[in-house]
Amino acid sequence: MIITSKKDRSALLEKIKKYNSFFLIGCSECASLCGTGNEEALNELAQLLEAEGKKVTGKVVPKTGCQTLGTKIELKKDKDACDAAEAIIVMSCGAGTQSAVEIFPDKPVYPSNDSLFLGNMTRFQMFDERCSLCGECIIDMTGGICPVTNCPKGLLNGPCGGTNDGNCEVSPDIKCAWVRIYERLNKINRLDDMKETLEAKDWSRNRKPRTLVTRTKEEKKK
Amino acid sequence: MSFRDIINSGKFVVTAEIGPPKGTDIKEMLHHMELLRGKIDAANITDNQSAVMRISSIAVCKLALENGLEPILQMTCRDRNRIGLQADLLGAYVLGIKNVLCMTGDHVSAGDHKQAKPVYDVESVQLLKIVDGMNNGKDMSGNDLKGSTDYFQGAVVTPESNPIEPQLIKFGKKVAAGAKFFQTQAIYDIEKFKTFMKHARQYNVKIMAGIVVLKSAGMANFMNNFVPGIKVPQNLIDELKAAGKEKALDTGLNIAARHIKQLRDEKICDGVHIMAIGMEDKVPVIMERAGLL
Repeated sequence: MIITSKKDRSALLEKIKKYNSFFLIGCSECASLCGTGNEEALNELAQLLEAEGKKVTGKVVPKTGCQTLGTKIELKKDKDACDAAEAIIVMSCGAGTQSAVEIFPDKPVYPSNDSLFLGNMTRFQMFDERCSLCGECIIDMTGGICPVTNCPKGLLNGPCGGTNDGNCEVSPDIKCAWVRIYERLNKINRLDDMKETLEAKDWSRNRKPRTLVTRTKEEKKK
Repeated sequence: MSFRDIINSGKFVVTAEIGPPKGTDIKEMLHHMELLRGKIDAANITDNQSAVMRISSIAVCKLALENGLEPILQMTCRDRNRIGLQADLLGAYVLGIKNVLCMTGDHVSAGDHKQAKPVYDVESVQLLKIVDGMNNGKDMSGNDLKGSTDYFQGAVVTPESNPIEPQLIKFGKKVAAGAKFFQTQAIYDIEKFKTFMKHARQYNVKIMAGIVVLKSAGMANFMNNFVPGIKVPQNLIDELKAAGKEKALDTGLNIAARHIKQLRDEKICDGVHIMAIGMEDKVPVIMERAGLL
């Protein structure tokens, strides 16, 4: 999921100070699990805005904020509240925020969150980054542990000299990704994978902005 | 004779490290070059060592050549992508630089520009392959070069790395990628180093042991606690402590000289790489005490 954190509230209030009325949009997916775009988070921001003398014309937690068309349809029932707002505040990730920009071509849209990374939830509201969406997955060769993400240097062929009794020199509180890879490959009897030299990554697979169309021509016609 | 010819001849080689200064005042560095000229076989010129921004390695390699020292260009993958690295490899070569040490490089978080974007487009093993390709007339994309390089390329290894197995696997990959010589992280336990050498001797590569002078017991303890891959045995710390504050550095120089002499006399490895870290003027003293001058 996309991991988000709340922007500093006083900085947010400073940015939106010239507007008086807002419509708030959360997201029931990632931002809800992060506690940055669920009902509770929306209520909290609404109270804060009202305490500042601002008006909240309405708020909604759409099912999937980054699904632009679906969110647009969900917002139809709130048309009046949206129209009454001078600005929109989106409480999801950067993708959800830009859905709102598309849905509201005539209104300023403000993000209330910073989008951080693609994360795994390890415990309630605890998240780790394990995949960087590099565009070319190589973890079949690295015991299923991604060195592009888990090693601060993204090394592909083994640990650097900074391995410190199995820990990472750059982030001493985490284990060296390559020691983890070594231990796992050893356990599953695949150490030969580590002896193979991986070529430099094809970063053209990561060229932004990326798009993908997977539906067939027939589906498009329908 | 070139560094490559000397090490391949079987002579016990000595290299030392020169760290480019931060700023344009190069007087002290030129003085160090003068002190080392004619004594060491080559000088490693560090590449923004510890991720601290300094004069570029290539520029200082050129100064070394002009001042009668054969340079080993240290090249890290932290600050340049594959285009920049290859351009610099070509550029360094036409300036007369014939040795390159391929490293991944300390992370920017260790240095003085912590907000910089680290590059690591390629890493040490892949950089060695790039050098090998350029020596054979091809760039990394397989395009022909108008004139190839003829680098003598080396790499680094940490014999005291814990756990050692992943480090040794990477060492094997570096050999396969074309590394001809290795300079190790500082070693202090010669018996343990012999175990590493037994492994390394399977390969047809030259190994130079890393020597870092211990200035005090405090420095030894600091390295044990904070520098990955360095283990100073307790008996050396005790020796430094017993020497007292005034004699500590002198004892540290003696330890370095003693280790070098043992490495050479017992033919444990092919040479040493002395990292004096600000005490370049002490390198000739160590060499003299080791019986190398």
